[in-house]
Amino acid sequence: MKQTVCRTSELLPGEMVSGQIGPIPVVVVRASDGTLHAMVAKCLHQGGPLDKGRLYEHVTAQDIGEYIPEKNCEILKCPWHGYEYDIRTGCVLTDPSRRLQQFNVREEGDEVVVELAPPTPAAAST
Amino acid sequence: MTEAAIRTPVVGPERKFHIIDTDVHERAELAALVPYLEPMWQKYITDFGWVPERNLPYAQFAAGGLDRADAKLPDGRPGGSDLGLVRKQLLDEYDIDYAVLTGWLDASALHPGWPEFKTALMTAYNDWQIEEWLDRDQRLLGSIHVNAHDPAGAVREIERLADHPKMVQAIMYIADKAYGDPFFLPIFEAAARNNLPVGFHHSENSPTAFGYHRYFVEWHTLVPQVFMSTIISLIFNGVLDKFPELKIIMIEGGFTWAPHLMSRADQQFKQLHSEVPWVKRMPSQIIRDQVRFATQPTEEMSLERFMSLLEWLESDELFCFSTDYPHWDFDSPYEALPLGLPVELKRKIFCENAQALYKKIPALVG
Repeated sequence: MKQTVCRTSELLPGEMVSGQIGPIPVVVVRASDGTLHAMVAKCLHQGGPLDKGRLYEHVTAQDIGEYIPEKNCEILKCPWHGYEYDIRTGCVLTDPSRRLQQFNVREEGDEVVVELAPPTPAAAST
Repeated sequence: MTEAAIRTPVVGPERKFHIIDTDVHERAELAALVPYLEPMWQKYITDFGWVPERNLPYAQFAAGGLDRADAKLPDGRPGGSDLGLVRKQLLDEYDIDYAVLTGWLDASALHPGWPEFKTALMTAYNDWQIEEWLDRDQRLLGSIHVNAHDPAGAVREIERLADHPKMVQAIMYIADKAYGDPFFLPIFEAAARNNLPVGFHHSENSPTAFGYHRYFVEWHTLVPQVFMSTIISLIFNGVLDKFPELKIIMIEGGFTWAPHLMSRADQQFKQLHSEVPWVKRMPSQIIRDQVRFATQPTEEMSLERFMSLLEWLESDELFCFSTDYPHWDFDSPYEALPLGLPVELKRKIFCENAQALYKKIPALVG
């Protein structure tokens, strides 16, 4: 099963769109490097709608008081309680053992298409 | 090892483990510290009448006030003033192998003002502690009191005494300052560098979230608040991540609140950790790795409830037994914890957990 979620021109780097594959809500994200990532749009915490969340760059620190933005490392923050996910892996940042189901997403012509199948490295493409 | 052998004061080689009491209060009369003060500071006590600031607006509504009624001296001195009575009522009575003195006067809980005098006073207090207590009974271990309001002076004091074989920790009483503030960082760096744990103890200047309630019973119920604030401050300001080898112990705050704190801190961290990216581990894991709890004051509870607390903590290495002698809410080594605790667990709580915390003790045990 696959589903077109938008036109390629409607999803720019740093943006996301919502979609649906059968009964499953999905969120499709285009990262700052142009790669596409799709995952179930339901937070593992209390089911918050992740497609209504926010994309931020991941911030790290080497020492107390530092905020160091990491390039090409966006996180998706749940709109409800703020759980954060690595858009490339679907993992919860504070607990990588917990992971959102991810889907294959690719461009077909001028459309962004999500497929009810696990992502492949080749699928995370511009 | 039978149950009876642990719950009765067995002496000699029959007992297979030691009892380490992690909170015993020795008491000085202010005048007794004067000879230990540098001469230039002495007149402020002898002539100018300086006394420690005390915010607590109540008396303790216990039979003996602050102390067990039977721990006060016939001449009116407070409990913990006389080594002979400490031996009789605690060390000998319960066959305590080692007792960590946690003091009476601690500048960290006093007003930040006049830091030079208070730093000097802590030096005097530590020297008095060593000469009057540690040198007079091999079972007594000491705490390096520092003036946290003068971090440079606190570091000097830690460096001065870190190699003393019986000074097992640095200690700071808690008032209303969050010790995770970078202002205090040099103190933790010095403790970590010298492989000394840091003890935290509440004080008569520890407020609740509402300051000082109308009654002592309210304030005393809420004492754990300042311990929670201290732990959370040290975690989220990155102190415990910056010094992952540093161990800290919360003294005289009990422990039943620890599972709640760990659970709530973890939840907040999951949701808000991007605010504090220097924190690298889940708070509950930081606590399991680096925080210990002196057990007193215990709360009467069933064995089942006690074991469920441990299950929630996911560790049996966090609790270190303490009596808080000579205070009014003293915990008896034989009565305070629930009956029926497994022997191996008792061994950890009464001895091994403290032994792991205080690295100098194994050398003393030999």
